[in-house]
Amino acid sequence: MNRVHVTKTILWMLTGLALAVALTRFAFGLGVTTNLTDTTPWGLWIGFDVMAGVALGAGGFVITAIFYILRQEKFHPLVRPAVLTALLGYIAVILSLLVDLGLPWNIWHMMIYWNPHSPLFEVGWCVMLYTTVLLLEFSPVPLAETSRWANIRRVLMKFRFPLVLLGIMLSTLHQSSLGSLFLITPFKSYPLWYTPLLPILFFISAIALGLMMVSFESLCTSWLYRRPAENNLVARLGSAARWVLGFYLLVRLLDLKISGNLALIFSGNWESWLFIAELLIMAIIPIILFSIPRVRHSATGQWIGSFLVVAGTILNRVNVGGLTMVGTTGEYYFPSWMEVSISAGIVAALALVFLFAIEKFQIWETRPREPESDPHVQPAFSRGGQTWLGSPSVAGRTRYSLAFIIAVAIGFALIPAHKIDSSGVVDIVAARALGGDTLFVDGNRDGFGVAFPHAAHIKAGKGKESCVGCHHMNLPLDRQSGCYSCHRGMYLTADAFGHDWHASAAGGNVACVDCHTRGEDRTAATARPCADCHKDLMPEGAAIKVNTYTVPSYADAMHDLCIPCHRQAAATNSDHPDLYRCPTCHNGKSPDWPTLAGRQPWKRRLNNHNILPVVSAGIEGPTP
Amino acid sequence: MKILLEFARGPLFRLTFAVMVLGLARILILDIWGMIEAYRRAGDKNIPWKLTMIRTVEWLFPVKRVMHHRPLYSLTGILFHIGLLTVPLFLFAHVQLWRSGIGFGWFTLPRLWADILTIMTIVMGAGLFFGRLGHSKSRVISRKQDYLWPLLLIIPFVTGFICANLGVAPKFYHLVLLTHILSAELIFVLLPFTKIAHCVLMPLSQIVMTLAWKFPAKVDEDICVTLNKKGAPV
Repeated sequence: MNRVHVTKTILWMLTGLALAVALTRFAFGLGVTTNLTDTTPWGLWIGFDVMAGVALGAGGFVITAIFYILRQEKFHPLVRPAVLTALLGYIAVILSLLVDLGLPWNIWHMMIYWNPHSPLFEVGWCVMLYTTVLLLEFSPVPLAETSRWANIRRVLMKFRFPLVLLGIMLSTLHQSSLGSLFLITPFKSYPLWYTPLLPILFFISAIALGLMMVSFESLCTSWLYRRPAENNLVARLGSAARWVLGFYLLVRLLDLKISGNLALIFSGNWESWLFIAELLIMAIIPIILFSIPRVRHSATGQWIGSFLVVAGTILNRVNVGGLTMVGTTGEYYFPSWMEVSISAGIVAALALVFLFAIEKFQIWETRPREPESDPHVQPAFSRGGQTWLGSPSVAGRTRYSLAFIIAVAIGFALIPAHKIDSSGVVDIVAARALGGDTLFVDGNRDGFGVAFPHAAHIKAGKGKESCVGCHHMNLPLDRQSGCYSCHRGMYLTADAFGHDWHASAAGGNVACVDCHTRGEDRTAATARPCADCHKDLMPEGAAIKVNTYTVPSYADAMHDLCIPCHRQAAATNSDHPDLYRCPTCHNGKSPDWPTLAGRQPWKRRLNNHNILPVVSAGIEGPTP
Repeated sequence: MKILLEFARGPLFRLTFAVMVLGLARILILDIWGMIEAYRRAGDKNIPWKLTMIRTVEWLFPVKRVMHHRPLYSLTGILFHIGLLTVPLFLFAHVQLWRSGIGFGWFTLPRLWADILTIMTIVMGAGLFFGRLGHSKSRVISRKQDYLWPLLLIIPFVTGFICANLGVAPKFYHLVLLTHILSAELIFVLLPFTKIAHCVLMPLSQIVMTLAWKFPAKVDEDICVTLNKKGAPV
């Protein structure tokens, strides 16, 4: 395999892993997949994907400004890759924002419900508009491939210059407004990072990062496709970047001096070391490297220098975005592997799009190709029909798809199921009683319970009229209420009424005076009876009458319902004298049968297959 | 043993089941993709669609051919397939596991039927194995996996039947249950990569065959080179 194949296989696997995690996140929520809390609501996805994603997209506006405004035409080979990188960077931002938002389907709200005082509103609008502008800037490239869209391409080319101007303007606005976002945290951020100049610092560092991101991306792809790197251009970008970084360093240190926080750098706590590391990686070492002409023109120097600026700026965004707030909040946060995999997966998926675009469209002067298969190789037959359909048009699609699905499967396997299991109340099977043949009654949802031959009971009770013997609450659409919805306590008496639920807007949404008379004491005794509103709550002829809100515990309720009936049946049926005894229902003929008399009597686990003997045994269980 | 069981029922099940579902989807998509490409490349685009469809349906429900050749063996195969598909999908205990896992279940087989079908599947599986082994013409065209698959497929049926019906010692019970789960998971993993993939590719087999014989235009020279017969008359 060559390096393109290896790289793409890894990228496909990362994408697959992220897909499995993303599906889990959307099905079960943030609590299952992230380590975020109410104190640390912004984590890796904001710090890395959004903050750094926007910053990494800065290459687009920096290079277009150099090429179109400063008329530095020698940078032409870098323009298309830079615009594409920026476009993909912004798509990464949007994707990760969708994953991170608690209610992602409300993402359109900012377009309609304006809040012009919020920096987040500005960021949202700028990201939206700039992504559109980038899309329009880039679309002439793929459109050039077919003559069908020539007219659209011509119009777009005509508006290219205004689009570029608009793009630079929007970038200027929101690169800085990402910094403005954190002006709200003067008491939460550590003073070495918090400054009213955050917007300006963000903008200056974005320019340097834009230059270096384009360099880094150019070096990476040149290595990948074994083509001569644009070392001369990268050296020029490095030369420019050291001035920008120098200016950034100056502003940042001067600001600290003026605010009186400069001494904090040497305070020796972990924040001070983090600050020193950040400045070294992001600015000081790259400035030194790019100031030495020999290093600046060497491939290794360019690799190290550009990588350091990119990594350092990401570190800076992560620091401002939350890491340096840990000292104040006292809540330590480390991203879960699922957060990491989503971040990596989004980057990997967009890297694949980038490689696809490079191979399919005229991004570079010459288009690289994956090595094609030799037409004269003896064909290997396909798995299914034992038939050869010819070599595939997309090289390696068999390999990539295999890597992808295996990664998705591994993702599903790794997801911690215990978190999903505990993510809220799961309806017990007894709640879905309509017509069930055999139900599993498991009051405290610990997986232990009894199998209840429902159909046999209906038959024994002579048809559907007997339902009201057991079921005594009727929900809308003629559904039965789950027993646990009133008998809430497993072993304790409970209140079936749920006063707070009735009063809450999200629940019953009933005003106080709807039940209690004005001017009287608000007690249960003076309130209107339930049946005033819930007219069909109790089925006619129900065996159990509800007179009070106080309900027995789940265990007592079940036993009171079952045992009298069984006792009566046992008395009249000489074939089953033991019908009312416990093991009739709690008949755990499980592998642990000999030890059942000990620690866990009468318990039966659903997860074992041996629920089956219960079903076949009907209500005749073995007796101890 | 309990830890092993938990592992087999949890992460390992999710891994193998996902490999099966996605793997089958993958080969289905790859084959359809390949078919579309073959059709685009074909020099002769005259495909007998109607005839191919009729043949596909005939092979999907091979009732017409049961009496054609070795009727007993064909019947064994059909009955084996019926048991193989219905029991795992509609067994009460399995559906119950789905209910607790994904929140919903579906129609289940009555207990008696499940037992009858299980025994039938085991017997028919053994019948398929010996039917292949005992027939000289079958032996000639058989590969290793053709013998191994019926045997592998009946393992979960035998172990499941033991778990459900026979009272066994606790340690043995867990071992049998573990074998039941692991053998089923082995089947899941192997399914998309072996001949059992026919469970999704079967509907395509006839059309693939038809398309495969439609060569790209002017490819005759390439074929001769591939077969080391350069210059031979086509």
